[in-house]
Amino acid sequence: MHDTEQTHPLRVPRSMQQQQVTLGAAQAESFATAFERLGAAIDTVVLGKQEVVRLALTAMFAEGHILLEDVPGTGKTTLARAIAAAVSGQWRRIQFTPDLLPSDVSGVTIFNQASGAFEFHPGPVFANIVIADEINRASPKTQSALLEVMEEGRVTVDGNPHSVPQPFLVVATQNPVEMDGTYRLPEAQLDRFLVKLSVGYPVEAAEIEVLRGTHQRSPEHLPSVVDTDTVAQMAEMAKHVYIAEPLYAYLVQLANATRNHPQTAVGVSPRGLIALTRAASVFALSQGRTYIIPEDVKALAGPVFSHRIQLAPDAAMRGATGAGVVADAFEQVSVPLPASAA
Amino acid sequence: MNETLPPPLIERTPPAPRRARRARYRLRVATVAVCLTLMCALAGAVAGRIYHGQLLALLVVGAAFAAFAIGFALRNRPAFLAPSASATGLAAYLLGAIVLTSDGADPLGTEIVDALVNAVPRTLTALIPVEPAPDTVVVPVFLSWLAATLACEFAIRYGRTLLGCLPPTLLYAAGLYLVGPNAAPGTLYAVAFCVLAAAALAVTAAPPERRPDRDAQVDGPAPSRTPALIGAVVTTTVLVAAVAVLGPAVARLVTTSPGDPREFVEPPQLTDIDLNPLVRIAEWAKYPDQELFIADTSADAWMRLAVLTEYDGTTWQATGDFRTAGTVIPGAGEADYSADVEIIELGGKLVPAAADPATVTDLPIAVNLYTRCLLTPDGLATGSKFHVDSALVHTDPAAAETARADLSDAATVAVPMGTPEIMATIADYINTEYDTPYAKAQGLADFLGQHYAFDPEAPSGHDLPALGFFLASPVDAGGQRGTSEHFAAAYAVIARLIGLPSRVVVGFDVPEGASTVTAAQGLAWPEIAFDGVGWVRFDPMPAAGAVPVPPEDTLEQMEEETPSPEEASGGGGEAEDFNDEALEQDGDFNDEAGQEDSGLPVWVWYAAAALLLACVPLALKARRALRRRRRLSRGSPAERVAGAWAEVLSEAARAGVKVPGHANAEEAAARLAVLAADIGVLPRLVNAAAFAPGAVAEEDARAAAQVAEAYPRSVRHQVKRWKRFLT
Repeated sequence: MHDTEQTHPLRVPRSMQQQQVTLGAAQAESFATAFERLGAAIDTVVLGKQEVVRLALTAMFAEGHILLEDVPGTGKTTLARAIAAAVSGQWRRIQFTPDLLPSDVSGVTIFNQASGAFEFHPGPVFANIVIADEINRASPKTQSALLEVMEEGRVTVDGNPHSVPQPFLVVATQNPVEMDGTYRLPEAQLDRFLVKLSVGYPVEAAEIEVLRGTHQRSPEHLPSVVDTDTVAQMAEMAKHVYIAEPLYAYLVQLANATRNHPQTAVGVSPRGLIALTRAASVFALSQGRTYIIPEDVKALAGPVFSHRIQLAPDAAMRGATGAGVVADAFEQVSVPLPASAA
Repeated sequence: MNETLPPPLIERTPPAPRRARRARYRLRVATVAVCLTLMCALAGAVAGRIYHGQLLALLVVGAAFAAFAIGFALRNRPAFLAPSASATGLAAYLLGAIVLTSDGADPLGTEIVDALVNAVPRTLTALIPVEPAPDTVVVPVFLSWLAATLACEFAIRYGRTLLGCLPPTLLYAAGLYLVGPNAAPGTLYAVAFCVLAAAALAVTAAPPERRPDRDAQVDGPAPSRTPALIGAVVTTTVLVAAVAVLGPAVARLVTTSPGDPREFVEPPQLTDIDLNPLVRIAEWAKYPDQELFIADTSADAWMRLAVLTEYDGTTWQATGDFRTAGTVIPGAGEADYSADVEIIELGGKLVPAAADPATVTDLPIAVNLYTRCLLTPDGLATGSKFHVDSALVHTDPAAAETARADLSDAATVAVPMGTPEIMATIADYINTEYDTPYAKAQGLADFLGQHYAFDPEAPSGHDLPALGFFLASPVDAGGQRGTSEHFAAAYAVIARLIGLPSRVVVGFDVPEGASTVTAAQGLAWPEIAFDGVGWVRFDPMPAAGAVPVPPEDTLEQMEEETPSPEEASGGGGEAEDFNDEALEQDGDFNDEAGQEDSGLPVWVWYAAAALLLACVPLALKARRALRRRRRLSRGSPAERVAGAWAEVLSEAARAGVKVPGHANAEEAAARLAVLAADIGVLPRLVNAAAFAPGAVAEEDARAAAQVAEAYPRSVRHQVKRWKRFLT
């Protein structure tokens, strides 16, 4: 066991799990290699979207959930399925519809006449990766069924808690254009998504490439690159990335700047700050670094913060966006670099 | 698992430190507020030095406090509230100040309008000490209020302490301009003002770690404040020592006095009757019973109406301009004489008063500081009453007898062209008969008193032909008799021919107690100036009932007795020539050349000042070099990398590319790219130095130092020439 710990670069030694220990450069390099391998695999299916893919993977290794929002046909579901396929774990897909019931998601307890006892039949949420397609088409009641499992990793049915397999990742998609028959996600649930990403249209060259090989690039054909154990190990490794003291203050000042922004009704919550820290840790490791730098924070603040900011009604009417508020916040807070104001 | 998590991002601040921070913040704000308020009050009180009494100082201090208090109370309210409330407060305060300083002679509305319309010109033209009146307090109170309001807005609302010091400083400068050369240097005011400004800036100063030119700081313990403290103390000590040593020397280089705004103001104009008051003598002599004014005096005295020092051969006129004064006349001694005057038929603008007037109440007054005579701009009117206190001029006759003539004022010895021959003859006679200036002056008075007669019917006139007629024409033709106008004017001209400084005074002989002064008491008399004694009055008028001796008898006798020039030169050595200029230059006379020899030549001071100025760029360059050396060679590798980063940013700033505080290393590198100078791996290294423990090695620090040392050379051509030369 000791030897295994020594030789497996992606495995965090048990001793490291007990205390704050700085990662070695070799471990960071291994993480970056695995991360890049995974990203490259998904890139073969989702063309021209390397940045979105890396952000989605960052959220996965930060043990967060991903909300993909974009117009139909831009590859949201494909990306979600590609992530699920690249990780050799159990994955399920739930197509959210208005008549979907909470028990359709979480599972149901049925009386077994043969055994004469109640048996719990797990719902589709019991998987490593759950693709919640068109999540905004389900009723708020059904959407809320995901709240507990997203935050705590377990489902309570009839008073009995049932843990979902780990790692657990929800990749939800929603369409912001067709609003008829949809239910806007409540703020509490939005806050539970670590990142909200927009896939966007591909560039011209990538779109041509998409047309050339539509059939060959199905997520179903994507071989798994990492297993769930490796994902769990990498997620654990990300918790040991070093964060310098000045960066804590920097992060808090950024959050305060969003809270005090004149266009903001509700700023970033402490949960959002923690999410950004976790995501920045993964991002730093993906770059082969064992420590966070302000560039990591800036790269991730938009996807992590934007959907958590509730704009004031008048600002929303004037077209302000959460991303704009985040950009303003970065303009107001000094980076804790030596002599940066000189 | 929780043990491996980083420290919580949101730490609840303990109540005690928060309270302490709040208390420190409040203390800082309160200190700034107090300092700026006192600065405004002090700056306003600077002008109070030329005002009579303490009323103006109290008013401006009150205005500063009130204005600042309003601004301070509304500091957290919307910005538009403060100006509105301040304007209302200012209006109320000005109204109170006007009511407080008003004498109640006019309706309040008239007083307010008059004060607001005429405030500026009257403040600038009022003679010092300025009387606190509605029109002279409005400007200082308004400016003090405005300065305090702006200071509060800048420093308290917007947190710009240095900008907040600007309004009180401008107010201070305005106060100095108003005072001009009319008060002693207010060193204590200046020192107190500077100390207050320094205190306000010190309490709001950024700590060393937040200053732009701070040393490199990486993740670790907070930098020590000791070096900054020592540097501040040493710098302050050097500055104070430099000021103490160089200040007096520099002050000696300044030989000019501050400009006086009153010099640019048109003085009150005189009417003809006041320009040449000597012509009144004939009228007064002709109608001696005319009641001019009622006087209730504390002693016998000569009340002067006018003092005439300039004679152009036609008229005697006063020298100097009249300046508006308050109740107190500047430069007077302690009053020992008082007079209550009520005007009956005395006309004109000139005001009768015994020399030397100290205070005048119940009458607007302008004073001629050269002759110290008074004038009321609106003119005297029947029924006008006023009270005047004077410091009577007492001359010592014994001292005058041995004193030399005071020839310091050329105007008092100037003789017009074309004086009648009789005047020169009389002057020769007096010079021959008497030795000392006082004897000559008294001899001349006696000569005129013994040889000429008083005639109230004599025609008026004191031009040279008229005086020649008075002195030389036969009695049968109407000559050799005249009024005090002729006696005083002839005496003054002949005295100047003798070499005595003279002037003519028009006034009244007023007895002690209450009496009605009539025209018979009005007369003119001459005065002679003696060195160290002052102006001494002489009476050339004949004694009552005396029979005049024909002057030609005395003068012919003098010609017969006069020795030849040769004899005079051989035997005249006994008499001391009191007008000999050689005697003026005795041993105690200080010439400027001797004074210059006692100190260093002026060019040395200029050279020293130029050297000091030249040292400034050198000192700045040396400071930069030392800082670079310290940043690149001292401390741990991480600190040196951070120092190299700071050097690069500072050099880029010199070249005109400033990196904002919110830019990270990558963004900073992108901004610096416009300078086309390679900074290599420095952004990566500075991130490692700042955010990774022990990630920077010795060779990294050396590589960073190489980049930092090469960078100034790369961007040198993009630094402006003056910056390259000066910094």
